[in-house]
Amino acid sequence: MSERGQNASMLLIGNSGNRRTLGLQEARCRWGLPPAVLVTYTELLEAEEAGGETISRLLAARLPQVQDQGLLIRLDAPGEQADVERSLIGLGAYDRDGDDSLLPSAIAAGYMGISSAQAASLPQEEGRIYYPGQWFRGYCRLLAILRREALRLWPGARWVNAPEDIAVMFDKRACQQRLTECGIDIPRRLAAGLGIGSYEQMIAHMQQERMNRLFLKLATGSGASGVIAYQRHPLTGAEKAVTTIGIEHRGGERILYNSGRLKQYTDHAAIRDIVEWLCGEGLQAEEWIPKAEAEGCSFDIRQLVVAGRACHRIARLSRSPITNLHLRNRRLPVEQTGLPLEHIEQASQIAEAALAAFPDSTVAGIDVLVRSGSRRPYIIDVNPFGDLLYRVAHEGLNPYEWQMKP
Amino acid sequence: MTEIRLTIDYDGYESGQRMDNLINELAQKPESSTLTGLVIGDWGEAYQNSPDTFLEALISNKDSFPQLRNLFIGDMGFEDCEVSWIVQTDLTPVLKAFPKLQSFTIKGSTGLTLPDLRHNALEELVIICGGLPQEVIQQIRDAHLPELKKLELYLGVDQYGFDGSLEDIVPFLEQERFPKLTYLGLKDSELQDEIALAAADAPILDQLHTLDLSLGTLTDKGAEALISSERVRKLAYLDLNYHYMSDEMIQLWKDTGMNVNVDDQQESDDEDDWRYPSLTE
Repeated sequence: MSERGQNASMLLIGNSGNRRTLGLQEARCRWGLPPAVLVTYTELLEAEEAGGETISRLLAARLPQVQDQGLLIRLDAPGEQADVERSLIGLGAYDRDGDDSLLPSAIAAGYMGISSAQAASLPQEEGRIYYPGQWFRGYCRLLAILRREALRLWPGARWVNAPEDIAVMFDKRACQQRLTECGIDIPRRLAAGLGIGSYEQMIAHMQQERMNRLFLKLATGSGASGVIAYQRHPLTGAEKAVTTIGIEHRGGERILYNSGRLKQYTDHAAIRDIVEWLCGEGLQAEEWIPKAEAEGCSFDIRQLVVAGRACHRIARLSRSPITNLHLRNRRLPVEQTGLPLEHIEQASQIAEAALAAFPDSTVAGIDVLVRSGSRRPYIIDVNPFGDLLYRVAHEGLNPYEWQMKP
Repeated sequence: MTEIRLTIDYDGYESGQRMDNLINELAQKPESSTLTGLVIGDWGEAYQNSPDTFLEALISNKDSFPQLRNLFIGDMGFEDCEVSWIVQTDLTPVLKAFPKLQSFTIKGSTGLTLPDLRHNALEELVIICGGLPQEVIQQIRDAHLPELKKLELYLGVDQYGFDGSLEDIVPFLEQERFPKLTYLGLKDSELQDEIALAAADAPILDQLHTLDLSLGTLTDKGAEALISSERVRKLAYLDLNYHYMSDEMIQLWKDTGMNVNVDDQQESDDEDDWRYPSLTE
């Protein structure tokens, strides 16, 4: 399987010492491959800030003798590291120049965010959500730099996932649009995905389109971060939002954070506040499709697809509408959910089709929702870094071993 | 023993499926004559359509279901429809139409009413909801159900329709009301401690197999009254699943050797120390 890049040198862009990087290196070791050469996001962002040719020199020095025909470049998740987050917010600031050609969706009109200087001094607070729209612009700017530099230094290199694909996968608005254009089933989008600018606009569309229950998602969030199960009774107007987003006001400032537990809002003012924030940072609003159930929980499926083929998969069970929480939710082999084999097959097939919508990418963790009743599958998310799955084997191999297998 | 579940999903409803048609079709099939259980799930836009859209079909076809003993109206999960959104109605005509019914389960309490509730065969009555209105609680209290063995009421919270008080609940702890009762569930309540205090030494416990105070806001306060009661100790089963008791109290229960369910310990909300029953959405 040449697409998996055996015998190739690999450049890995990630965070040092985390489970992803370690998992990949262990897998390479297992197959007798040389360790991937790691360039960390921290190093890259420092070099970027230094300006000039610093990034070029960093990359060239790290891989001095590479045969670029065989070089494989793997981008991994930039998350879970505060300095990287701050630097990316800084890189995405309005007062910084950057190549926005990979940014898939326009930033909301009137969105300011913070300056690069302010970004540099953001206090580190556990769980706090800072300017995800600006963060994503920074990340897309970094992707554009990496694409440019790689092309210059190693014109024959291949990407595990192309930077332009990663940008689209990461932006749920652009990703779902891509999937729709490829004829892949996704949940119906409010306003046909043309964008929601305000809470009032959202309500008007819900009434027009007779959609009373929605998933509202931070367009560039990952996992359960920034996801709301929202409903509004069409007759009484009673609202409810179930989410991990916490909100508080400190001296006139609106502070949002990821709460470790689910919160439930029924207060109109609080819900409006959160929705308005989401609209500014980028909102994806889609139909809340009732999910299939297993063992008294609803579930969806994380299906890994590598080089065109579905492999590792796991069902994520929840007693709440939000299945991809890290805390408290259960996992179950898909075969134990009671979902008939033909429907498991269909879920795998739609996941393969979803990755095929990105011809320059070879790995993604695809989230598949199975509708209760009809068991029809829909794609809800394509995660370019979705291969970190614990205790899930395929043909006896973990996801990294499988990808690196000669 | 055959059971059938009828439900209409979003796509089905949009394409014109209706519950009264499904019931009429079922009544025409040969298996209707041996059907013992019927579960009616989502009847489509249940947040604005009540069972009135299909009750007539069920009642007019009653002779096609001579063996029907178990009926569930409103079996839908939160993925289909929020429990407090489910619109119910006056369901006593169904009980009149099926005098041999033994088990009746209702989900949803908005619009629910059970006036002049009388049935000579009913052994189980279960109402699952986010908040049971005082009116319905009183209707059940005053019901004539001589065969009733199991009564399970989700009491819920005021936000979702519970507008009663402890005084409305205490009558269920009287012995004469349902002489054959062996399973009493007064659960999913924001008054769970008060209910536990009232129930702890109630004479009705002597006739019960199971006391079910699960899914509510029970804390050590209510638990202390229960654990020190001789009557409680004699129960065959005590269900306290989903609770706010302390680790110490859980251990005390385990030490009793009783058949007691103390699973699913909750932590109160850090910020405002607020406790919620389980089914409050």
